[in-house]
Amino acid sequence: MRSVRQRRTATAATLLAVVALVAAGCGGGDSSGDTASGGQDAPGADALDKATGVTKVTFWHGMKGANGEAVDKLVKAFNAEHTGKIEVTAVYQGDYDETITKYKTSVQQGNTPSVVQIYDIGSRFMIDSKQTVPVQSFADKDGYTLDSIEPNIANYYSIDGKLNSMPFNTSMPLLYINKEAFVKAGLDPAKPPTNLDEIMEAAKKLTIKQGGKTVQYGFNAAIYGWFMEQLIAQSGTTYCDNENGRKDLATQVNFADEQGVKVATWYQQMVKLGYMPNTGKKTDDAQAVFKSGTSAMHLESTGALRGYLDAAKGKFTVLTAPFPKITASDTGGPIIGGASLWVDGPGHSDAEKRASWEFVKFASSPAQQAAWHTGTGYFPINSKALDLPEDKAWVAQYPQFTTAITQLHNTKPSNASSGCILGVMPQSRKASEDGLEKAVLGTDPTQAMKAAADSIKPQIDQYNKTVKK
Amino acid sequence: MLLPCVVIFALFIVWPLGKSVSLSLHGSDLFGRPDAFVGLQHYRDMLGSAEFRHILWVTFAFVLLTVIPGVLGGLAIVLLLEQHIRGIRIFRTAFALPFAFSVASASVIFATIYNPAIGLANGLLGRFGVDRIGWLTDPEWALISVSITTVWMSIGYNVLVLSAGIGAIPTEINEAATLDGAGGWRAARFITVPMLGPQLFFLIVISTIQSLQGFGQIKILTPEGGPEQSTKTLVYSIYHTAFANNASDFGAASAQAIVLLVILLACTAIQFGVLERRVHYK
Repeated sequence: MRSVRQRRTATAATLLAVVALVAAGCGGGDSSGDTASGGQDAPGADALDKATGVTKVTFWHGMKGANGEAVDKLVKAFNAEHTGKIEVTAVYQGDYDETITKYKTSVQQGNTPSVVQIYDIGSRFMIDSKQTVPVQSFADKDGYTLDSIEPNIANYYSIDGKLNSMPFNTSMPLLYINKEAFVKAGLDPAKPPTNLDEIMEAAKKLTIKQGGKTVQYGFNAAIYGWFMEQLIAQSGTTYCDNENGRKDLATQVNFADEQGVKVATWYQQMVKLGYMPNTGKKTDDAQAVFKSGTSAMHLESTGALRGYLDAAKGKFTVLTAPFPKITASDTGGPIIGGASLWVDGPGHSDAEKRASWEFVKFASSPAQQAAWHTGTGYFPINSKALDLPEDKAWVAQYPQFTTAITQLHNTKPSNASSGCILGVMPQSRKASEDGLEKAVLGTDPTQAMKAAADSIKPQIDQYNKTVKK
Repeated sequence: MLLPCVVIFALFIVWPLGKSVSLSLHGSDLFGRPDAFVGLQHYRDMLGSAEFRHILWVTFAFVLLTVIPGVLGGLAIVLLLEQHIRGIRIFRTAFALPFAFSVASASVIFATIYNPAIGLANGLLGRFGVDRIGWLTDPEWALISVSITTVWMSIGYNVLVLSAGIGAIPTEINEAATLDGAGGWRAARFITVPMLGPQLFFLIVISTIQSLQGFGQIKILTPEGGPEQSTKTLVYSIYHTAFANNASDFGAASAQAIVLLVILLACTAIQFGVLERRVHYK
């Protein structure tokens, strides 16, 4: 038996250990940040010309695997061209979410990178952060033309025709098709479904059951808010008010309106009728189903194409078709998102800002975008990249990719197809997923989407309040 | 010798704790910096919201679903491993093995097993004519599935600790018991388990703390708190409020962290008050 005193000591020690374990997880950020305004103007070219020695540029990005290697190649090519003058260091910061989180911390500490890659839905936040120099300012100062940037892509990152950040990597959603499954069911793979009703009809024929068990699903897709955004854009309507947040800060989302409810109802029916498995919100899990050949139709980004072709090798043929519309009469087009490069202003010397601009220009040049396109599967944001021989050879090798090119060029730029620009867009995407999921699990779609839209309202208000202060 | 200890304690525990309390009383700007003083507003919002009550309930359920099966399962395995059969060392190693897995890799493996359309779990069930289960997509199942993964990961450690405990029981005690005619179940019930008291107590306290702080498997298996928020525990909610999806409400997140601290302290205090009295230290 131990003495009471010993036991008390042990008790106290354990309690302290508990405090330590918890407290370790709750550290806060430093509040002494530098928010010096100004510095958002583009300096002239002489700033870099006059600079002595090597101007250093740090570039934060969120690309890993093959994409990360392509970034490293790009940086190497740039540094080789600017030896002794500019040196870019690329730093992988984790996925998009992690990159923007680390970027925020760097703003707090007054130590931002020179250039940062931020996902499309972080654009409003980046503008409101007042930390960056719009690339348009550099272009205007230099008389540099941005005409070769795909207009549909530039549209997403522009407000009032002014380009804020340089588009870098762009992907679009597609309808993926398992050719053999189509042929077996007596459907023509050359005439894929073009809207949600047609998908349901085809999925009915493509779903195969054996002894009460589904061995092949007609269709599958993740519960992914991006698809909701895309389908609403396809219908030609806006995702949030104030013209998708491009006239003024958006104050509410529209996914509880007719179009959003239609999409939710469709998801619900597809699962209920057994044409589609509910694999939840994780895109990985939905992708695995299509890759295994267990599903005949599938929604995903162009970015997944390369992986699908590899996975299907020797098993089935992957075809691509334009992303579906909600109904046959829809006249909109898909949103072209992805991520873009932002040049940081405050806290950086004029020479460094100019060097960043040089790098950003280089990254968007036809040659580099062709290398990027063929190395990653992302869409080239520079229209001239598609004319280069190496790019043409690549597209000839993977004809599935032409679907995306056609889709991009067929889209008429409009506020609807530019996508919603909203400070809390990432949270809003998740809210729409909650709504879709509720509908899939059996809640009335109208109610489910309404509850989801209501849940995001306080966050929009809070954000707008913070920004307008 | 006390001074360095006090300095380290103040630096790494008292200061961050004070900072958390201070953050929890402030609003947050776009970058998560504290701005206006809001007093107890975050606490009032939190305690008044139905969502927070749901989160507490999920947290509580998760602790029960992981600590009890984890500790009892570990105990059962250790008692079985006490049997003198050939190749017992292999089994011992095998049962302790999950301890060597990182949370991330174990979660990724379980995610593929749980895939509703092509996963191993539903494949096996299908052979017995059982319908597919939405392991991670059905709100009724998601927390159970995450708990199964958690138990699987923690049981190796429990087996290790209890094995060591059993090894430390003096052989005379068991011999005496055998002479008195107590074998098998009776010996386990009245000799081994009571003698494992300190280890069991340690495991219950540690498992509860780990469970309350469990995060990796929840985030990887059921992103965004799972279907209908069915796996949104307090720790996940703190992360979600502070960091996920470009959120930066450090104020509200810190308030939740303080609540977690209070719950942890209360749990541990209760465990020490109630359970430790029954523990027999040699």
